Amino acid sequence: MNKLLGILTLLTTIEIVDASQIETIIDQANLASFYAGNDGRSDARMMIVDAKGNKQLRQFVILRKDLEEGADQNFLVVFNRPSDVKGTVFMVHKKIKNEDDRWLYLPALDLEKRISSSDNRTSFVGSDFFYEDVSGRNPSIDNHTLVKQDDDLYYIKSTAKTPSEVEFSYYTMQINRQNYLPMLIEYYNQSDELYRRVEVLEVIEVQGYPTVMKSKVSNLKTGGYTLLEFRQPAYDLGMDEAVFGLRSLRNPPKKWLARQKKAKQ
Amino acid sequence: MQQQLSNYGIKKPRVIFFWVFVLSIVTAALISKIQIDTDPENMLPVKQIDRQFHNQIKSQFNLHDMIVVGAVNRATEGVYNQKSLQALLKLTDQIGHVDGVIDYDLMSLSSVDNIKQSGPGSIQFEWLMKQAPTSDADIESLAESVDRLPLLKNTLVSSDHKATSIYVPIADKNQSYRISTEIQTIIDSLDSEDEYHITGLPVAEDTFGYQMFVQMGVSAPLAGLMIFVLLWYFFRNFKFIAAPMIVAMVTVIVIMGTMIGMGFTVHIMSSMIAIFLMPIAVVDSIHIMSEFVEKYHVDSDREAVVKTVVANLFKPMLFTSVTSAVGFFSLMLTPIPPVQIFGAFVGSGILLAFVLTILFIPAYLMSLKKESLDSLQRLHHSKSKLSGFVKGMSQFSLKHNKFVIVIFVAVFIISIWGVLQIKINDNPIRWFKTDHPIRVADKVLNDHFAGTYDAYLVLEAETDSIEKSFYSQLNDSGQEIQRQIKNIKAQQTSFEQQLNELLFWTEDKLFDATDQLAIELSQLIKLIEHKQNQLAVFKSPNSLDYVTQLQVALGQSGLVGKSNSLADIVKTVNRELAGGGDQAFVLPKTKAGVAQTLLQYQSSHRPQDLWHFVTKSYTSTVVWVQLKSGDNQDMSAVVDHMNDYISHNPPASGISINWAGKTFLNKVWQEEMVAGMGKSLVSAFIVVFLMMVFLFRSVLFGFLAMLPLTLTIVFIYGLIGWVGKDYDMPIAVLSALTLGLSVDFAIHFLQRARDIHAKNKSFELTMQTMFKEPAAAISKNAVVIAIGFTPLLFAPLLPYVTVGFFLATIMVVSALVTLLMLPAMLKLLRSLVFK
Repeated sequence: MNKLLGILTLLTTIEIVDASQIETIIDQANLASFYAGNDGRSDARMMIVDAKGNKQLRQFVILRKDLEEGADQNFLVVFNRPSDVKGTVFMVHKKIKNEDDRWLYLPALDLEKRISSSDNRTSFVGSDFFYEDVSGRNPSIDNHTLVKQDDDLYYIKSTAKTPSEVEFSYYTMQINRQNYLPMLIEYYNQSDELYRRVEVLEVIEVQGYPTVMKSKVSNLKTGGYTLLEFRQPAYDLGMDEAVFGLRSLRNPPKKWLARQKKAKQ
Repeated sequence: MQQQLSNYGIKKPRVIFFWVFVLSIVTAALISKIQIDTDPENMLPVKQIDRQFHNQIKSQFNLHDMIVVGAVNRATEGVYNQKSLQALLKLTDQIGHVDGVIDYDLMSLSSVDNIKQSGPGSIQFEWLMKQAPTSDADIESLAESVDRLPLLKNTLVSSDHKATSIYVPIADKNQSYRISTEIQTIIDSLDSEDEYHITGLPVAEDTFGYQMFVQMGVSAPLAGLMIFVLLWYFFRNFKFIAAPMIVAMVTVIVIMGTMIGMGFTVHIMSSMIAIFLMPIAVVDSIHIMSEFVEKYHVDSDREAVVKTVVANLFKPMLFTSVTSAVGFFSLMLTPIPPVQIFGAFVGSGILLAFVLTILFIPAYLMSLKKESLDSLQRLHHSKSKLSGFVKGMSQFSLKHNKFVIVIFVAVFIISIWGVLQIKINDNPIRWFKTDHPIRVADKVLNDHFAGTYDAYLVLEAETDSIEKSFYSQLNDSGQEIQRQIKNIKAQQTSFEQQLNELLFWTEDKLFDATDQLAIELSQLIKLIEHKQNQLAVFKSPNSLDYVTQLQVALGQSGLVGKSNSLADIVKTVNRELAGGGDQAFVLPKTKAGVAQTLLQYQSSHRPQDLWHFVTKSYTSTVVWVQLKSGDNQDMSAVVDHMNDYISHNPPASGISINWAGKTFLNKVWQEEMVAGMGKSLVSAFIVVFLMMVFLFRSVLFGFLAMLPLTLTIVFIYGLIGWVGKDYDMPIAVLSALTLGLSVDFAIHFLQRARDIHAKNKSFELTMQTMFKEPAAAISKNAVVIAIGFTPLLFAPLLPYVTVGFFLATIMVVSALVTLLMLPAMLKLLRSLVFK
């Protein structure tokens, strides 16, 4: 029986060893995760939980506009909680060919600052999410192989093309065959130990786009995790590119930060 | 009773042998369950308040025990060269993979973040040293970066650039020795000319434990061997001296087996039990055997001789055993659990040895073949060299008794002066000899860095009043909110957590609430946020400024190499946000400014670092104090200095300040021990004195019996003061047991003198008789015990050497004092003493 399964797996693997097919899966996954609609907004709430169960809260609104499908896009993240960081703004001009441009605005210091970082694998405001988990990791900087597939999922194993830039040795993804969302991503270190897990916990359809409403990143080393919940997502709102201009750092676009009238679902 | 006991031994030797054998086998089997414990923390009871606080802080701030690995390069450019940095990178990486190391909290140049300017108006967060820099310019910029980061400067790289360090946090301090050995293996495999050192209190403690285990296996058998050789020298009869050896072995096995079997761990103190019991256990046997040899002739009735000997010696032996045991039992009055266990089991061991001697020795003597005892005929103790010396001494003392007394009084006064000079101090690192790698590492690393000894100054804000006012403000809120508050309170989490939970719930609820409820919920959110803000005392610039002042005061103590705090973090990030100029190394003006600065700090590779300095609610903060010395007296001085500072510059109301950290805990138990030892010494003194009065039915005799030991103790501690030896744990323990051991000689001397005088009614004759067999037995015993402890002198661990040296000295001194002083005093007081 096991032998039979083995052969079957082998057959299915052989069936899809086509490089272009892997590329398609990865591209679809990237689009599904980060490029739904031409633009979008959502309320977000992060609960950062440490190994002892202590919780911290971060609440923000995230705005996005795609400049080119699957390529450059802009993000604006405006914090409203904890109350003492209210009005803190992050802006990212994500670039596929170059390094991203990142800006920061701290209202209490009235400080606008450009952040240059070649490394997107740092903590997003103290959570277990990395910047990259929020804005998307460029799929073309990794090598991907399709390990297997079943009725529901593609199983991908990926390694970085430049291993010195990342802390992982490889990561695996389980991509939903229907909506192409990566439901589970697991990171392994040089000793082949699993140390980090990104899970999608809840997906709903919003305006025809499968949308992650709840996800969780676990740091298996520290024993902590972060839950990220989205609320009031809305797409194709017709945001202007100016929404992502430097002016927005000090004067975030109130129109888009507010909850939108019930969009057609 | 004594007759029944020893008669039983004489009549039924086989029964005695059988039961002694069974007892030894059973208890020996228990020894296999041995568990070593080297944690000085266990010097304090688990519930001790400072210890509890220390562990609460450790857990609250995720502060791990740290091994410190240092690399030193004495060349001009120091460790800032490609090869050294490459080696550091490799070492850090491999240490991260060692089992038991908490890699995400490991601190090394290659595992921490840098925050710096990157072009105009732009800042950069990145790994400080992801790869070893190759160009001189890169190396230089690395050096500059480190010098700009107050948390790293002089902690990860020394200010002279000659040394760099890795702080290795470990999950279990009892694994320190293994982990440090593995780190050493990695170091040995490095291609580097740098000089590497491993230190830190956990390593010292665990390594000590390992060597202690080795010592137990070496010192105790060596002590046994020494005693055996000595006995052979005295008695020249193998079968004869086997008896005391058996008594000693059985005593040690039964006591160690019982202790381990009862579930007690073997701590530094209890590891010395065997070495203590071995010489003490043979003492009674030696008395019996010496007297037996004097009285036994080939044609005498052996049973009668044995009975007489036992009858003569029973009372003094019982009393010496009980007084010695009292000395050790008095240690149970100290508040230090390992010392209590040590006292209890050595005390019990002495009593066991007495019972065994009374039962076993007569049985054994009876079962020996006649021929086996023939050689004893040739022995005459009173003719040995030792006896000659003792006799000469006594004649001198009797002749010049006033002079002898004057000398002793002078010695006493000088000693008291010495006692006053005693410095109370201990440091687990100093338990190793100066050339031990750990001692060397400690010296080298503390020469270069700000200090490898950690203590934590903890500031905590009071939260009860905030909690009370919060819930009272919600007393008339709607039913739904009330119900939820009840639910959340039922979970019994901290108030900060309750606020978080309530905030989550309120937000969810507000999502589709309308009308009155919606208004109420919005108000609740405002109130929660207000309370959260009130709780966050250490987000306030004023509080952080006070922390900075404390750090300045710490620096002024002169004993703190460096301190690190939340204020340092905030100022560093603030400086870089504001363009990097030194003038910007200040605190932001508002709470929100601090919060936003810290939000940036957390956007690093190591967001968890922040929580080593402050709790998530910002109600408590910790200042990490690096001391160059782990000496208790230095820690005490820092604590006193800060108490003084704080009393003149008190914190805002509601903020309390306390200490935690290993270095601080060591100081605490040291102080408790000194106080405890004083108590145990005084109580043992009183008990022994009362026993003496009871034994001799005379206050005067009681006083005389206490004289030699009083002089001995004062002399020994005076010597410690004069020599400048620190009064540390082993020294402290010596006091009470000196008392128990050295009174033995006085008891034997006075009891025998009295018995003899009762028969011959002449002081001169009594003294002459005294300096035959009784004085010989006393001096022989002193020599046996003193020599029995000498193997300790060769131990690689200093506490063992100290104990060995001082016990040997104590035995010799107290025997000398007894034999010199008592005759002199008896002569002086003879009309009173011998009525």
